Amino acid sequence: MKSMEQALFISKVDSLKYYEDTDEFARLYFGMEFCERLLPNVDDLKNVINFVNEKKIGLTLVTPYVTEDGLKRVERLLNVLNEQKPGSEVVFNDWGVFHLLSDNYAGLVPVLGRLLNKMKRGPRLMNVLDKIPEESVRYYRSPGITVPKVREFLLKNRINRVEFDNLLQGIDLERTGDEIRKSLYLPFAYITTTRLCLTALCDQPDRVKEVGILPCGHECQRYTFCLKNPIMIANLIRKGNTIFLCNEDIPDNLRMFDRVVIEPEIPI
Amino acid sequence: MKILSPLDSKEEVEELIQAGVDEFFCGLLEEKWHEKYPVISINRRPAGKGHFRSFADLKEAVMMAQDHHVPVYFTMNEHYYIDEQYDLVIDYVKKAVDAGVAGIILADYGLLTILSDLNLPVKLQIGTGGTVFNSQAAKFYQKTGASGITLPRHLTIEEIRKIVQNSPGIEFSVFILNSRCVNVDGFCTFEHGLSDKSFLPLYRNACMLPYHISLYPQVSAEERDMGEIIREHRFLERQHIWETVHVDDHPCGACALYEFKEIGIHGMKVVGRGNPLERKVKDVIFLRTLLDRLEKERPSLPEFRNSVRELYQSTYSRSCRTHLCYYPEVRETPA
Repeated sequence: MKSMEQALFISKVDSLKYYEDTDEFARLYFGMEFCERLLPNVDDLKNVINFVNEKKIGLTLVTPYVTEDGLKRVERLLNVLNEQKPGSEVVFNDWGVFHLLSDNYAGLVPVLGRLLNKMKRGPRLMNVLDKIPEESVRYYRSPGITVPKVREFLLKNRINRVEFDNLLQGIDLERTGDEIRKSLYLPFAYITTTRLCLTALCDQPDRVKEVGILPCGHECQRYTFCLKNPIMIANLIRKGNTIFLCNEDIPDNLRMFDRVVIEPEIPI
Repeated sequence: MKILSPLDSKEEVEELIQAGVDEFFCGLLEEKWHEKYPVISINRRPAGKGHFRSFADLKEAVMMAQDHHVPVYFTMNEHYYIDEQYDLVIDYVKKAVDAGVAGIILADYGLLTILSDLNLPVKLQIGTGGTVFNSQAAKFYQKTGASGITLPRHLTIEEIRKIVQNSPGIEFSVFILNSRCVNVDGFCTFEHGLSDKSFLPLYRNACMLPYHISLYPQVSAEERDMGEIIREHRFLERQHIWETVHVDDHPCGACALYEFKEIGIHGMKVVGRGNPLERKVKDVIFLRTLLDRLEKERPSLPEFRNSVRELYQSTYSRSCRTHLCYYPEVRETPA
């Protein structure tokens, strides 16, 4: 039986309080997957580096998909991480961030983020799961790393960990090999994300019909929305530019993962 | 700049070329995929309309297009495939290559890697599912074997300019008409079309379903005053926007053609596999008219914007609407 590491995922320095409640975490995930506007700044990262050094735990910096400008901000964080905490992991959700890591940061460890592990997550799937052929069910439960050449590509590029959401339909990790390690995020799974953020400007009624890449006042830090429709087996949660579901059921094949990443809050 | 149009059958080739198409893209669905995966797409389009049905038909269409020097690109752009699908996937690609397609449009880094190793005599192009938001991502795909990229819908004109400037040697395409998806295609894990049209809750796009929306409880009702609750109720209005409009109600980005010409964009993509031929032709004529004006009349920016808006209204009987504008920043330029 593999040993299971527990990690705590926070997207804001204030959330370090969740670590102080317990000492069971061997690693801290820190950062943002969905919005470059919410990337931590360099001082935040330095504070977190001091924290993990003090607690003698591992650090994983989490990064989002980014524009050209966002990439520069990520680069500043990578420079600090590389200098002050070499050997740390970096979760990338953008192949551009990976390319940067690959070319310039041999001292950091790339991890394939859950946005690039493109399994289907919409809760409507659960309505058809018992009505479709078994090949289709296997598709919905299986990741792209079932393909040997995909695993070969990842390993050749120093990527030996892949991040997973806790899918309602379950995850079949047979035929994914042992060389690539897997992390499971609990309990919030992302479903979809956008740059046409409906939370931005949501408290300005005269701009209700505006949809675009709009200026934002970090309204996502004040309002979160619950979306219900009877066809959705789980409620949808819109926080900021992203829709999540909450799945607290522990999968039967938890032993196939060697790390659980606990999200005490929706990570936005 | 090239006009990239969807193509669903050999019968559409001649009329669309006469309308002004420069390049086609298409998909194909055979029964042997459909019987195993009735609700899972091979190419980001549900079963039903929008596909060629045989490689013989595809070959005929490709030959007809080649007579006019118009290349046909073949979509294999599902976000990912699993191991047991690969025999079929590679079979599709090889048959499409044999049919004479000029390139394969794909989204999955795994498929790109595998096709690169096969050294096929076709171009490999990354579709919007590849989520290229920056020049480093473009370089990653270039290094892995891609020669062209369609950028995601969710970029501003200036963001596109920076990516293109910093990515020499790659052909970029952008969206210009139809289906302004709410979410980032390559990161959207909703499945649409989980049934036929007889049961709309499973058929319709998940982003456009009606939802009961409330504030996710962070503070209990007792802790808030009534004024705050009423104010919050107004915030909810905006959250319903995609239930009240249709993302395919003629979204348009044609005002940005002016900038895209300056930037050096290769192609403008008209979304719409499965649209009726009449609509495809109308879309192509609309763009060809504007491109010809841009090339021949060399209008100023305000003149061009004005002519786009007039032609849009006369072609589609609609005025410009911010939420259906691909590049809403153009609306800040006075017409």
